[in-house]
Amino acid sequence: MKKRKVGIPRALLYYYYFPFWLKLFSELNLEPVISDSTSRDLLNKGVKKSLSEICVPIKVMIGHVLNLDQKDVDYIFMPRFRSLKKDVVLCPKFLGLPDMIRHSLPGLKTEVIADQIDSKSDDIAQFSNHQKLAETFSITKREMKSALKKATDFWQRYRDLLFKGYLIDDFAGIEELEILEKVITKFENDPKPPQSRDQNLEAPVNEEVVDIAVIGYVYNIFDQYINMDIINKLKEMGVRVHSFSMVAEETIEKELSNLRKPMFWEFTNKLYGAAEHYLKNDGIDGVIHLTAFGCGPDSMLGQILEVDAKEYEKTFMTLRIDEQTGESHIITRIEAFIDLMRLKKENN
Amino acid sequence: MNNLYLGVDIGSVSINIVAIDEENELVFKLYTRNSGNPIELVKEGLAKLREEIELENYKISGVGVTGSGRQLIAYVLGADTVKNEITAHARASTYYHPEAGTIFEIGGQDSKLIIVEDGIAVDFAMNTVCAAGTGSFLDHQAERLGVPIEEFGGLALEADRDVRIAGRCTVFAESDMISKQQYGFTKPEIINGLSEALVRNYMNNLVRNRVLEGEYIFQGGVAANIGIKAAFEEEIGAEVIVPEHHDVMGAIGIAMLAKRDVKRSGQESSFRGFDLTEQEFETTSFECEDCANNCEVIKVIADSKVIAVTGDRCGKWTASLIGDSAANANVEGSSEKEEKTAAKSSKKQDEDLNKNSEELEANLYKVDLEKEKQVMKELEELEKSDENKKEDNSLV
Repeated sequence: MKKRKVGIPRALLYYYYFPFWLKLFSELNLEPVISDSTSRDLLNKGVKKSLSEICVPIKVMIGHVLNLDQKDVDYIFMPRFRSLKKDVVLCPKFLGLPDMIRHSLPGLKTEVIADQIDSKSDDIAQFSNHQKLAETFSITKREMKSALKKATDFWQRYRDLLFKGYLIDDFAGIEELEILEKVITKFENDPKPPQSRDQNLEAPVNEEVVDIAVIGYVYNIFDQYINMDIINKLKEMGVRVHSFSMVAEETIEKELSNLRKPMFWEFTNKLYGAAEHYLKNDGIDGVIHLTAFGCGPDSMLGQILEVDAKEYEKTFMTLRIDEQTGESHIITRIEAFIDLMRLKKENN
Repeated sequence: MNNLYLGVDIGSVSINIVAIDEENELVFKLYTRNSGNPIELVKEGLAKLREEIELENYKISGVGVTGSGRQLIAYVLGADTVKNEITAHARASTYYHPEAGTIFEIGGQDSKLIIVEDGIAVDFAMNTVCAAGTGSFLDHQAERLGVPIEEFGGLALEADRDVRIAGRCTVFAESDMISKQQYGFTKPEIINGLSEALVRNYMNNLVRNRVLEGEYIFQGGVAANIGIKAAFEEEIGAEVIVPEHHDVMGAIGIAMLAKRDVKRSGQESSFRGFDLTEQEFETTSFECEDCANNCEVIKVIADSKVIAVTGDRCGKWTASLIGDSAANANVEGSSEKEEKTAAKSSKKQDEDLNKNSEELEANLYKVDLEKEKQVMKELEELEKSDENKKEDNSLV
């Protein structure tokens, strides 16, 4: 029998969970189809069909769903992430995402599978989170559970590499499970450290290497189109790039417990914990908060970080991205930011 | 033969060219309005430089370009250093004013705040998407009120009464000004209100909760406006210094940076020479249709020879200039660069670990019946507690 095709939008938490989904679908004998990388055309289509005041990551998501709708897939897989921790939810836009898609795209041909994800941790491999998927393809509970187990084990290997200092960017372009497996195995056995830990990194002529933590949601910092490829721009300028996904869960928890009242949103809390860790860390020269224009949760996070950066005397900058951001303004800002840190180092 | 370093600042409203010598003394200074053709203006500027100084005594040893239009002009000139205007401004003002603590810089298109400690810039802020409170807005309003921009600031000081004008947004500011005019406020009062609004806006958007310390330096094209300077002094309650060369500080700074870079690398300047004033430059653009990004690719042509290509996100057109063979290799990988490298690395590792990986895989996914059973049991238990959890959650 021909494998049925399930489309996965390359947007939002795709960057966090894609190894899990690739493995899961392969175990279930389904063919995952990933939407194209974000491009001008894809974003324009998304913007046209979105509410005008919604944030750009959601507009990107809508663009990706439209892209999949034209790819002749049997279903579109887009879970409703509700919670990954007790008493903490995700941003309301995640909670309402499937409804928003239904409302914004009444002409969508492809059926959407929208399981609700309610988990106690980042591990989302519970059967209850995949009931609709199982029903749609008449998968038995037993089969599903065994596939989920394998998927989560595979995802855990990916996560361990992230904790070791690899960037999601090092994997995110890969769509084939076989290639991903090989890359993961390779990195696991690689004696060479990842870029963020590389002490022998070479900066452009006569300049010093600096360490910068880029604090932002996975879908903002790893979507190369929407952020003007900031990660690679930083790398080219001789920067070791750090991100929240490298910080151990315990460290994040510990930092969070210092907050009198944690925020309501899962990934905002994660960013907070990681950012605090980096602000206190002497090995980090500066922190960039990369945020999408109009992001509600970040309006709180950004303020807290601004105040704390001053307290820890860490060089700090907020970069805002939106649908139409000229590349030159991003370059001007990151260049000036890096210059600040290099001057500081030179004078010490 | 003395060394001379050129600094060029291509702003949205003005184009500035300076030349400094080994001791950072200003040998040449030119401030021109950007009428829209930066290449021609730079050529004219260089021609003027050639007329004014005796070139036999000097050698151009370094060229730096800054400002929002820096990229294109850097290709035209063959610049050694291309850097953002924040670093350039900070460099120049900390040189002239080592005691500086706060630098206000307001240019044509954007405004900046630079915080300095012990002669080093430690923090900066730049206006976001909106152009309220920048030079071009003032230009526009001066034109609307029929006041030459040079007299604009002086008029503000003649105001008798205070008028409050909304400074948050240029559209609102303009409608506010019109209605206040209709109430009978005089031009000086309106202009004074506008200056105050501009400074208020600057404080709200850029300074925010930063603590400002002296000396206070005010530079950029707008610093020529004594009305704005007065409004700043009123707002912070201290004297504000406008440097002598406030209008070309960016150009001076980038010239100093070019000098540093050339010295560090020990290489000859890549300046294309004064002959470029006689060359014909042309820029053409086309929309690349090789992927869904449809980048606008810009070509810079000097005497019918392409000297630079820019604007492509993937870099394949930029690379096409370097050499045909290199270009061919790049064209293939253009839009899916990272995928290609991933595939490449996996291929490489294929060779290294071919046997190993198969073994590894086999081991990893070997089904151990005993273990499987136990895992399933564990999962089931988790499941149960999860289901209980779900009920709880529904009440949340």
